[in-house]
Amino acid sequence: MKPRIAFFDFASCEGDQLQIVNLEERLLELLQHVEVVSFREAMKEHSDNYDIAFIEGSCTRASDEERLKKIRANAKIVVALGSCATIGGINCIKNYRNQTEVRKEVYGDKYELFDTYLARPIEAVIKVDYKVPQCPINKEEFLSVAKALLTGQKPFIPDYPVCVECKMNGNVCVFEKGMTCVGPVTRAGCGSCCVNEGAICWGCRGLIDNPNTDAHKEVLEKYNLTPQEVMNKFKLYFGWSDTNAQKPQS
Amino acid sequence: MESLYLPRPARLNKILPLTATEKLFEVSFDDGKSLGHQPGQFVEVSVFGVGEAPISVSSSPTRSKRSFELAIRLVGNVTSALHNMKEGSRIGIRGPFGTHFPYKELEGRDLLFVAGGIGLVPARSFINYAIDNSKKYGKITILFGSKSPSERLFTNEMSEWREKAEFLETVDKADETWRGNVGVITTLFSKISINARKTACIIVGPPIMYKFVLMECKKKEIPDSNIFMSLERRMKCGVGKCGHCQMDGVYICQKGPVFRYSEIKEIAEAL
Amino acid sequence: MKSRVILKVEFPHWIASLIKTENVIGIKAKEAGKFHFGKLRSSGELRLDYDVAVLPPKKYLQPPKEDLLSYNIASFKVTPSADFQPITIIGVHPYDMHGINQMDAVFSDENKDTNYLGRRKNVKIIGVDPVKASAWSFWHDMGTAYVDKGFDLWLTDIGDRYFIEIGTKSGENLLKPAKTESASKIDIERHKKARSGLKNICSPSRRIKTDIKKIPDIFRANHDHGLWEKRAKTCYSCGSCNLVCPTCYCFDVREDMELNLTGGRRVRVWDGCMLEEFARVGSGENFRKERSARFRHRFFRKMVYMKEKIGALACVGCGRCASACLPDIADPVTAINELSGLED
Repeated sequence: MKPRIAFFDFASCEGDQLQIVNLEERLLELLQHVEVVSFREAMKEHSDNYDIAFIEGSCTRASDEERLKKIRANAKIVVALGSCATIGGINCIKNYRNQTEVRKEVYGDKYELFDTYLARPIEAVIKVDYKVPQCPINKEEFLSVAKALLTGQKPFIPDYPVCVECKMNGNVCVFEKGMTCVGPVTRAGCGSCCVNEGAICWGCRGLIDNPNTDAHKEVLEKYNLTPQEVMNKFKLYFGWSDTNAQKPQS
Repeated sequence: MESLYLPRPARLNKILPLTATEKLFEVSFDDGKSLGHQPGQFVEVSVFGVGEAPISVSSSPTRSKRSFELAIRLVGNVTSALHNMKEGSRIGIRGPFGTHFPYKELEGRDLLFVAGGIGLVPARSFINYAIDNSKKYGKITILFGSKSPSERLFTNEMSEWREKAEFLETVDKADETWRGNVGVITTLFSKISINARKTACIIVGPPIMYKFVLMECKKKEIPDSNIFMSLERRMKCGVGKCGHCQMDGVYICQKGPVFRYSEIKEIAEAL
Repeated sequence: MKSRVILKVEFPHWIASLIKTENVIGIKAKEAGKFHFGKLRSSGELRLDYDVAVLPPKKYLQPPKEDLLSYNIASFKVTPSADFQPITIIGVHPYDMHGINQMDAVFSDENKDTNYLGRRKNVKIIGVDPVKASAWSFWHDMGTAYVDKGFDLWLTDIGDRYFIEIGTKSGENLLKPAKTESASKIDIERHKKARSGLKNICSPSRRIKTDIKKIPDIFRANHDHGLWEKRAKTCYSCGSCNLVCPTCYCFDVREDMELNLTGGRRVRVWDGCMLEEFARVGSGENFRKERSARFRHRFFRKMVYMKEKIGALACVGCGRCASACLPDIADPVTAINELSGLED
């Protein structure tokens, strides 16, 4: 019997699920190996009977936790998809601010009707078996994870910095082009796609397991960033791993 | 010229569970040829679509020409795929690779085997070789230590080892069924008497074990040149290229895995 | 060695004719004043006045990612890859040629690597003597300013013409469409002069202050020097120093299965001993866990182990590692000088 898979979303732009829809013909090829039972972005039907749950988005309110726990209970394997689900993503920028103010800003005078708390990766709430990072996810990596799961393997997600792939691609280092990035502490797997296109690495795949963040902060300051600018570099995607952000704020 | 990375097609003839996490696989090549290994060598096992893993050959070349045995612990993707395979499944094999225990040089000597846990897997190749050639060797002593009774390997061969050699066993932690020795492997050294001048010691076990066993060897006054050990490293390619198994300047897959202790004492990354 | 000369006015015509008949890789300009080896589309793209290429030409012999095997799981048919396209690389500097010669030695020892050697056999090299050096270069002191083997042709800028040394028969064939002349006495004089000037191109601030023959012993004696720990404190373990190095050849092997879950390829990709997972085995044990141990290993590999293995220091003085290292800890010049006790 084909494994049954389901897609779910929490606080996110649904860009990761869009990437999956964008697989086009290859999605059809994937469907020869799996049965999709829930995928709000692409179909109407829904079932709670599934083997693998792919979850996009971060958890931003207490009620999300119940839903997440239900998915965890139904699924044999839970895979977090994208920056919001794997590392909290840019949603965690709000964690640095006063939560009441944030609610007022977004929901106006009806803000009290809308519950919210510190944005967090779903791993902060439920056990996650595998993570497909990036904002949005990389289609190739999603397929490689899917293939691994379909053949009973642990998926390969690199635990080395983006510099590895950036160097393999023969890029001129962004630091030599008068810009700065967080590639040296960010998990590779994107093929350094942003730098390849002339941009910088913003860190959307999150930190590697053992990043030398202190060294990188020193280097950024050496390249004339103010301490505040350095902090901002780390706040964009690394908000949840930044210990200060994990302390509850009113 | 054939690719160094091309495996030879082989089949799993028999699969026997050894413990909850180890299985014994009997392997033979499709072309019927012998692996032609020597005790202590390893092979690269291929599962296409999953990858390759270095595995020590566990059988003695004296026991079968047509097949060989691999005892494999479930640790990663390749070993997990192997554990899920059925008898008759097809795999690829490269090798045999690396150095072997110096079974010729050691003829006439007493042999002291010290095997910890999964270290018994490569050691067994030489143990059974020595037992099958017992006239060529002096006294054979085997010390085997496991973490717990449920992790003991090759229990069905122990009666033969007890009969044809001095075989002592211990477990780090006993359970209610265990009546034997309890304690780390070095505690067995007080129970044996050896002729230090005549004895060669073969040590295989987890990295942490070597230091303590070497101290016991020193106490027993076994010369460093008569101590042999098999080292585990990440032998990804097996042909001295990929660099993963290197310790200092030495590629373990080429100059090892079997080393004479006196020759690796100065290699900082060895032990 | 046989030699010819070609006037600079004739040179572009020769390159243009090579582009028509060969798959030509040449040194070209990249952004931010950097250079790289890439497919040459016109002779005008060729920048023989470059200082250093971002990546060494090694990438054409051992690509960042290459197939080792392709297979079909259902039929159990396994095919080693053997499709190596002929290429001609123009603009290899002497230090990079030394790097390639070292790779040749590594991959053709008793275990012959058919992937590397298959590619190598199909690569023709037209080298060139540098006229500029990057700020990080120190090949003037590493014995790599000159090279006498491995290339098919070697160019030296001698004013209004290039002096061409002919290294091989296939090099000679490459010259067939070129309008060359035999080298005059003056050409030979100028060539000699250009050669002797090579050592003055790297910055004087990049001097190795010890006799390079002593380097292996100096490193061996300093295995436990504080430098390793001190520098590794700010090491990212990002492998940049490995990946840009012309003599790093370590690789990982991975599977690349097709979506039909039947076909697939076994691929090898560049790896680096600075990466945290490099020496970790399946059971979880990491045999080079500490940043400082990995940091030292890379230096020892360049300065000690490869010398023992192939008889040459595996540092050719290109300066790429020093230039790629953001925390500025990878520089061999300062490390060698510090360990020799001869730093400023």
